[in-house]
Amino acid sequence: MSDEPVISWKAAGIALGLLLTLATFLVKPLGVSTQFVVTDAVVAHEIAPAFAEGNTYLSRYGEKTDWGVGYGWMLVFGMLVGGGLTAMLLREKQPEQDKGSMPQMWVENFGASRMKRFSAAFLGGVLLLFGARLAGGCTSGHMISGISQLAVGSFVFGVVTFAVAILTAKLLYRGW
Amino acid sequence: MDILLIGFLIGCAFGAILFLGGATSYRKILGTLLLRDMTIIKLMCTAIGVGTLGVYLLDFGGMANMSIKPAYIWGIAAGGAIFGVGWAVSGYCPGTCVVGTSEGKLDALFTLLGALAGAFLFSLAFPWLDAWLIQNANFGKLTLEEVVGIQGIYLAIPFSLALLGLAFFVLKDRYGN
Repeated sequence: MSDEPVISWKAAGIALGLLLTLATFLVKPLGVSTQFVVTDAVVAHEIAPAFAEGNTYLSRYGEKTDWGVGYGWMLVFGMLVGGGLTAMLLREKQPEQDKGSMPQMWVENFGASRMKRFSAAFLGGVLLLFGARLAGGCTSGHMISGISQLAVGSFVFGVVTFAVAILTAKLLYRGW
Repeated sequence: MDILLIGFLIGCAFGAILFLGGATSYRKILGTLLLRDMTIIKLMCTAIGVGTLGVYLLDFGGMANMSIKPAYIWGIAAGGAIFGVGWAVSGYCPGTCVVGTSEGKLDALFTLLGALAGAFLFSLAFPWLDAWLIQNANFGKLTLEEVVGIQGIYLAIPFSLALLGLAFFVLKDRYGN
């Protein structure tokens, strides 16, 4: 059993670059993080409409007329379906170590507590989206799509994000 | 074709590529951030290399639907730093936590739920952060094309070749040192 992903980085990278080109031709470049706000806004409009309308950020998304579910939201929903179907069909080709909810590396460094891993995953998620919304994009919108459009802000995002993520990883895995 | 269907199909392909290329692997992401396993950074450099060339060829033919994000330096730097910590701690980014969840990984699901909470927290902090970090030092939708003052395709070709060269010839895995 190979330790490498199902397809090579060359194949995946070229496919992703072509997909970005196709998306830019048909509609607009790829992006993900906005749709977390859209989902929040749709839920907020449902359970607390007055609060949602009063919140300057949420009120931009999930309007009652279209519930904010447009092209971008369908794209992220497609990732869930396309990723899930591919994973189901090709599970046997996925390296053993990349399956399951407790990465082997994490267990070796932080122990086997599921509570600890899931808390870290949740906290990481909070930081990811707080940061992405402040910056105006994430790995897809800023790094892949933004840098491909030679956007100055996206270069800033790419450099700062990688520098801080590398420092954090080195700190978490001291002595590795 | 209906725009919602186009979005759905592009998303399906995006999700499949991320799964197949190993972008949902904690081992591969942390391997890249620890500068040992270059799979993910080589994947990204290749994607951006091909993407830059593709987007600016479309632009050259007047067929690109670009979407340039405004360059507000402080907000982007602060947001990028917070994002970087979250990336290293969870091992996912907003896109890969969606795909990881679809694979049935519970840690990815917790990252997804955290991400929904993080977006909500940001919506509460927005008015204050907007005035402080987003409206200040905001250069608008600025690209290198405008900074350098030559047509985009002539920047895109060398930039793209440099990234592809980096991925194919320069970056090497470094285990055990």
